[in-house]
Amino acid sequence: MTELRASLSVAARLSLVVSLFTSSILLAVLGLDYLRSVATLDAEIDRSARSMTRASANYLETVLMTVTRSAEALAIALETGRFDDAETRALVRRAIGRSRNVFGGGIYFHAKADQVTNGPRSDHYCHWSGNRVQCMGAAKGVDLWSRDWLRLPAEKGRAVWCEPYFDSDFGRILMVTLSVPFYRHEGEARRLEGVVTADLALDWLTQEVSSLHILETGYGMLLSPNGTFIAHPKEELLFHEDLHSIPEALGVDERSEIAAELMSGAPGVIEGASVFGSAARLYHAQVKPAGWTLVLVVPEDEIDDQVSSLTLTTASVGIAGLILMLLAIVMTARAITRPLCTLVAATREVAIGHFDTQIPDQSRGDEVGLLASAFATMTQELRDYIARLTTTTAAKERIESELRIAHDIQMSILPKLFPPLPDRHEIDLYALIEPAKEVGGDFYDFYAIDDDHFCLVIADVAGKGVPASLFMAVTKTLIKSTAKPGRSPGEILSLVNADLARDNDQSMFITVFCAILDLRSGELIYANAGHNPPIRLCAEGEAERLPSSNQLVLGLMEDVRYRDTEFQLRPGDRLLLYTDGVTEAMNLRDEPFGDQRLESELIQLASENARQISEGIVDSVKAFAGSAPQSDDITIMLLEYQGAEGQAERDSPPA
Amino acid sequence: MDLRIQQEDKALVLAVAGKLDTLTAPEYESSALGLINEGATKIVLDMAELSYISSAGLRSLVVTAKALKSKEGALLLANVAGSVRDVFEMAGFGAIFATYDSVPAALEAC
Repeated sequence: MTELRASLSVAARLSLVVSLFTSSILLAVLGLDYLRSVATLDAEIDRSARSMTRASANYLETVLMTVTRSAEALAIALETGRFDDAETRALVRRAIGRSRNVFGGGIYFHAKADQVTNGPRSDHYCHWSGNRVQCMGAAKGVDLWSRDWLRLPAEKGRAVWCEPYFDSDFGRILMVTLSVPFYRHEGEARRLEGVVTADLALDWLTQEVSSLHILETGYGMLLSPNGTFIAHPKEELLFHEDLHSIPEALGVDERSEIAAELMSGAPGVIEGASVFGSAARLYHAQVKPAGWTLVLVVPEDEIDDQVSSLTLTTASVGIAGLILMLLAIVMTARAITRPLCTLVAATREVAIGHFDTQIPDQSRGDEVGLLASAFATMTQELRDYIARLTTTTAAKERIESELRIAHDIQMSILPKLFPPLPDRHEIDLYALIEPAKEVGGDFYDFYAIDDDHFCLVIADVAGKGVPASLFMAVTKTLIKSTAKPGRSPGEILSLVNADLARDNDQSMFITVFCAILDLRSGELIYANAGHNPPIRLCAEGEAERLPSSNQLVLGLMEDVRYRDTEFQLRPGDRLLLYTDGVTEAMNLRDEPFGDQRLESELIQLASENARQISEGIVDSVKAFAGSAPQSDDITIMLLEYQGAEGQAERDSPPA
Repeated sequence: MDLRIQQEDKALVLAVAGKLDTLTAPEYESSALGLINEGATKIVLDMAELSYISSAGLRSLVVTAKALKSKEGALLLANVAGSVRDVFEMAGFGAIFATYDSVPAALEAC
């Protein structure tokens, strides 16, 4: 994850994070909206279907009530009034003529003779024929009272809507008949006098019900009280079939309780019914006077289609929104990072040393502009700094190079011919300087003053650096020019000191050990100006310091007289001259190499020659110091006095 | 190196501790010269705690003494002992410096 984050550009990361969050929010909002819309849609369809069902049922009821009122009015008239045959026919004609809703109607007398008043009475039937109402007498030789539409009201004593039927008398007209009985009241008792009928042609009813439409293919139907289809888009079902003979028409085949619910008379909804194999919702309501049931079939598929269409719309809006948002985010992110990218390109140029690269976008007011101007300032600083550094480095390199040359010159003025007197056998000598990193002020020197006298000098200037090395060179030159035959070391140092101490404002000083050896006799005359006293290693392997009076270093006071000391060297004696760089070499524990260690190292190396002893001591000092830095020059000179020619053999004890 | 400064009636007492070598001598030198510039004319240098002195250290003593001398003052050394005394004497500095066994003795001599 970290790698992924690191490898993606800022723009990509910004786009990713922002799109993740915003698309989550967008999807959640759309999802909620979708769910609410689905619920709203469902409620809308439901409400529409309910109101449509109720309105249609109401309309049908209204029509039926009109017919009922006409028939009842006629019945009441007949119960209360006395009419002869012609008046009766006129009543019927007027009643039928009042409403085109009624196809026809009649009066059928149960008691054929009115014993009280008007004598024999006959039945009358009037019906619409075109724009006129035609009336006729009763059919002869037909027992009408055995038919349901007369029998049932007579038996039940109340108005009855009979089952719809095809009327064969007036051609194929779908009919339903309302029959209302009327009575002769005699005190508390009543006697059936006849039945008033009103025929309702059902073609308008079928049209009314088939005009019900909901969604694309939703339709209405009407069921009679015993379940016969009175109105249905499939005309072949009408009057011949009921919901039990064609159970698939309302899903009764799969759920038998549907029939009971539809016939119960209460309005309601049945969900998930299977109508001719398709799932549908059934909205139903009763048409009260006739006991019919109005059913509105709403296919579930279409509800689902509506939902799917809504889903599609929502999803399209969502996806379009998401794409637009992504575009906006990517463009914004690019717009933010584009100046950064140009800044990166400029930075790369600067990084490879092109300090004159123009830094873009400095005038922008935003953070990128601030960064750019900060970077421009930094580039300027860097350019100046590098220019200064180049100058400084060049100067430093020149100084270092000059110091190196100074050091080389310093080393080059030291004698390096060993042994110093190749044609003389009295002495062997070796000397070396292991210089410290910084230019120091150690030196050694040796030369023959005349045929028999040999001068040795070892010295150490206080301090380091160029001043020390100059002071060293001056001292070496002064000593060599002053060391003339007949002068003792004390005289030489006194003269040199006088020169050095004059105008020595810097208080530079130098410790010098200067000795002159008589090659023939082995007599050593020396003067020591504040230097470490040399160590004598005698042939027997014992070491001792040369006796030394503490005399002042050179360079501090003008009028100092340096005293000489005499010492007799014996053949085989070795003399170790050294500077404090040897004894004060420190190890990592800050301990000095020390005088004791130097003496014991010297004794250890007693069997070696001058060169081997010198190098051996330097090696052991280095081994002692380890990785601690060398702070001072290490200078060693080793003289071996071998005695005058033949003397060594003479003096040595007999074997 | 560690330097402690204490003003006494007759002189300024400088107690120097640790090592006085090539590395630390410049620090001592600038401190001492600073004090002299501020008006000190007599300085007692207490070397009791000094464990090591190199030739560069010795030179810084000479510099201090010269600076005081030019103001008609003096540098007095107290408690020069141990390996410091060995180096000090080997360099012949006993001839150019007055040394005392203790700070009071040095102050007495002022």
